[in-house]
Amino acid sequence: MESSSVAAEGGSMDDYEALISTTDVELLKRAWRNEKSAPEILRFESHLISRVREQIQLMEETVEEKTTEGADPLSTSLYQMDLDRTLFLLRSYLRIRIQKIEKYMFHIEKTEELWNRLSKAEKTYTRACTDGLKQHLEETVLSKLPENYQSVLKQSFISEEDDMVPEPRLETFVLCRSREYLTGIQLGDGPVDDRSSQLFEMEPGDLHFICYKSIKALVESGKIDLL
Amino acid sequence: MYGRKACQLVKEFASGEKGQLAPFNSDLFEQVIAECSQHHLEFKSLIRKTQEEGLDVQTARNADQYGALSHHLALVRNKRCLMAYVYNRAEIIQSLLWKIGHVLPQEIEEKLCHSEKEYFKKHSAALKSYMSKELVELTVDMVPPKDPYVKVRVLDDLGIVVCDDKANNFARYSIHSLKRTDAEQFISRGLMEELIG
Repeated sequence: MESSSVAAEGGSMDDYEALISTTDVELLKRAWRNEKSAPEILRFESHLISRVREQIQLMEETVEEKTTEGADPLSTSLYQMDLDRTLFLLRSYLRIRIQKIEKYMFHIEKTEELWNRLSKAEKTYTRACTDGLKQHLEETVLSKLPENYQSVLKQSFISEEDDMVPEPRLETFVLCRSREYLTGIQLGDGPVDDRSSQLFEMEPGDLHFICYKSIKALVESGKIDLL
Repeated sequence: MYGRKACQLVKEFASGEKGQLAPFNSDLFEQVIAECSQHHLEFKSLIRKTQEEGLDVQTARNADQYGALSHHLALVRNKRCLMAYVYNRAEIIQSLLWKIGHVLPQEIEEKLCHSEKEYFKKHSAALKSYMSKELVELTVDMVPPKDPYVKVRVLDDLGIVVCDDKANNFARYSIHSLKRTDAEQFISRGLMEELIG
């Protein structure tokens, strides 16, 4: 009897946690953590963000209502605090992305995969940034150099690839946690015969400190969370 | 020696305090630019010489060819140094926008060259337009909030300011409890300080 009630309680706790972990604020927190730790820009969570915005508006209305009603100041300030925290998450999420764009604007602008990850407003912003910086570099340096050396993206006319563009370092190490059992993660780019010995597996919930490049695809598909 | 001046320029930037700007060194900068033109002239004359001797520029392996290559490499190196100097300064200028806001104090503005001032204005306009499209103010709320209100001390006579639908008398050294979002703009401009504890 006792054990069954404990089990039931455990079950409801799990349900509760499962429920909490799917609220939009929790999802935003996850997206925010991933964005914060990933060296490159991730896909913009447009649906999530628009839902969070609606909720923020609702919360603002609630706080407004409480204040004009003259409700209990403690409960009003709790609502306010909740609102402030959600607002912070939203702002910080957008801010991290904007700062990544500032850092790698040329790389993002010319890489289609990354470009498609941006929201509409971010695309406009990236264009404005690259235009501004390009003009600044041209005015100070490039226009004064000989003709064959005036590219922003290339060192000189001989360069076959763009070799003047700052790119994020994907070889950096990140702390992460898997959400499910994963296998066959490939560490490093060794020759084909070596690869089988380097395959790596992850249990759900275990923490790993691992090279971002080898789990990049799993972060993008939402199977691994960064911390 | 080739490339020394460009190296000096980069070193000057690198030895400066992190996140701080030194005045734009236009003197040294122009000297490096001049060096680039010189390299290019020499490069062209060596190539011309090779051609006049009837040798194929692509396959010739003689002293002139290697000379031309040295000039080319020195030029590319100078370009990288110049770009690094301007680019890294531009990164600091971007970060100032986050730290100080859309208006630069005079002592910082003096250190920028003309093009950098223009760049700051453009970048600030781009960020403003992004924020107005997304309807969020991103330059406030830089640290996670613990409490919706903060205690602040006013550091300058600001007079009557309307905050949160209330008129506050921000006299110098007076202490107020304000909404964090309202207080932050004053704190970042150095007009208020947060009282902790």
